[in-house]
Amino acid sequence: MAIVSLRGIGKSFRIPSVRRDTVREHVFGLLHPRRFEELRVLDGVDLDVRAGETLGIMGRNGSGKSTLLKIVSGIYQPDRGEVRVAAAVTPILELGVGWNPELNAIDNIYLIGSVMGLALSEIRSAIDEILSFADLERFANLELRHYSSGMAARLAYSVAFKAVREILVLDEIFAVGDAGFRARCHQRYRELSAAGHTVILVSHEPYTIASFCHRAVLLEGGRIAMDDRAERVAEAYLRLLGGAAPAVPAPA
Amino acid sequence: MIAFPISAAPRPVPARRPRPGAHPLGLVWTLVRTDFKVRYHGTVAGFLWALLKPFTMFVVLLGVFSFVFASDRHYKINLIVALFLWDFFAEATKVGLTSLHAKGYLLTKARFPSWILVVTSVSNAVITLGVFSVVIVAFLGLAGRPPSLAGLGFFILYLGQYLLMVVGFSLATSVLFLRYRDLNQVWEVVSQAGFFVAPIIYPLGILPERLHFYLYVWPPTPVIQFSRMVLVDGVLPSTRAHLFLAGVTAVTLAAGILIFRRHAPRAAEYL
Repeated sequence: MAIVSLRGIGKSFRIPSVRRDTVREHVFGLLHPRRFEELRVLDGVDLDVRAGETLGIMGRNGSGKSTLLKIVSGIYQPDRGEVRVAAAVTPILELGVGWNPELNAIDNIYLIGSVMGLALSEIRSAIDEILSFADLERFANLELRHYSSGMAARLAYSVAFKAVREILVLDEIFAVGDAGFRARCHQRYRELSAAGHTVILVSHEPYTIASFCHRAVLLEGGRIAMDDRAERVAEAYLRLLGGAAPAVPAPA
Repeated sequence: MIAFPISAAPRPVPARRPRPGAHPLGLVWTLVRTDFKVRYHGTVAGFLWALLKPFTMFVVLLGVFSFVFASDRHYKINLIVALFLWDFFAEATKVGLTSLHAKGYLLTKARFPSWILVVTSVSNAVITLGVFSVVIVAFLGLAGRPPSLAGLGFFILYLGQYLLMVVGFSLATSVLFLRYRDLNQVWEVVSQAGFFVAPIIYPLGILPERLHFYLYVWPPTPVIQFSRMVLVDGVLPSTRAHLFLAGVTAVTLAAGILIFRRHAPRAAEYL
């Protein structure tokens, strides 16, 4: 049974010939009407994801991968089509962005954890584990403005992995931190997948998709150009880029 | 890269985690607490420091205008009541207008009721309003003019309606600010003009009566005037006046909710 079902999803962004972001620009521009160009990012996407499945999404820049993830996560609304998500989603998108720089790590953990649906008691009992996972125990009371982007991203992963619900949506993960942190991420991902969580994963890295996913889709021009086993889609993606398609290891 | 075997047959996981927003009270508490920490550095001294601005304003205005309106024996207390009510309005609308933008980073983390961000943004102004209200009532008591229980009850009712107006305004402007990034500057100008439209530094009676209706359309005016009547004069406004205030509150809140519901679903696209 599909836990995520998308039917005929379309999403466009209206790109104006002149950008006007202020009241002043709108008033002064009354006599100079703008032209709008429609940038169609998704165009009739049909997709089913079964409960417990790990689905990879590949595609070139601008093919609509991130927009699709945001629609599944409920952050963007589609212009057309029907979205049915039968369980709660934890999106891990735009890591490193989204902290209050004036607050220390612990206060930020409370803030983001609450937004992601954790109860205060759950956050309180998980603080040490979250900081330990991110290897940031020493910097717990340091304001986030003093963190490097890598440290902030590690903390974001750590909170999000703790708050994971039934469906996990990941955009370009496994590109953060040192080898030790990545190994912990892989281990956590492995635990979540083994526990039967549904995962939707976007990556440009064929090896990641082939290694971590049951199945993958290739997005091209806002449509699903291919829906097949992960390693086949990874090879097709490499061919699409114009390079030779090295053998992508099939999952064991 | 560490590869791992993937099970051929996916197994669904039972629901075991709450949805975002499943603990709204925890989220509200966290947002209020973090706002307080950021604004006042989490200390009472920081809070008292923030009170210096309206207090300084009061001293300056009192120093100048108490001579102009020397014949009004209630001028000082009327000025205090109006100033702290105005300060709440100015501060809460300013923060509420930019609330979604300021906390936009949370909107891309998860799907949750974004109106909570707007409503909790005015919490600090509400705390200040609460403290000032207690001080004013205590001051009236010490001056030998304690307000009646009915007067206090109506005063609390006005404050509740005032808060609903500010929430309605904030809901509307917070989503519009994402599209019109100088809306805060426009509001600053309106707010400055509004300070003089509301009868804060002058008694309403010095203006011709035919202008009163227009001044009452400006939301702080009826709240300030009615609060002065029940706290200082010990007079209850008419039923018609109460219905007018309820109407202004209902219209402001309803318009705010409608505008927010229309634009909020696409808020993340404008961040």
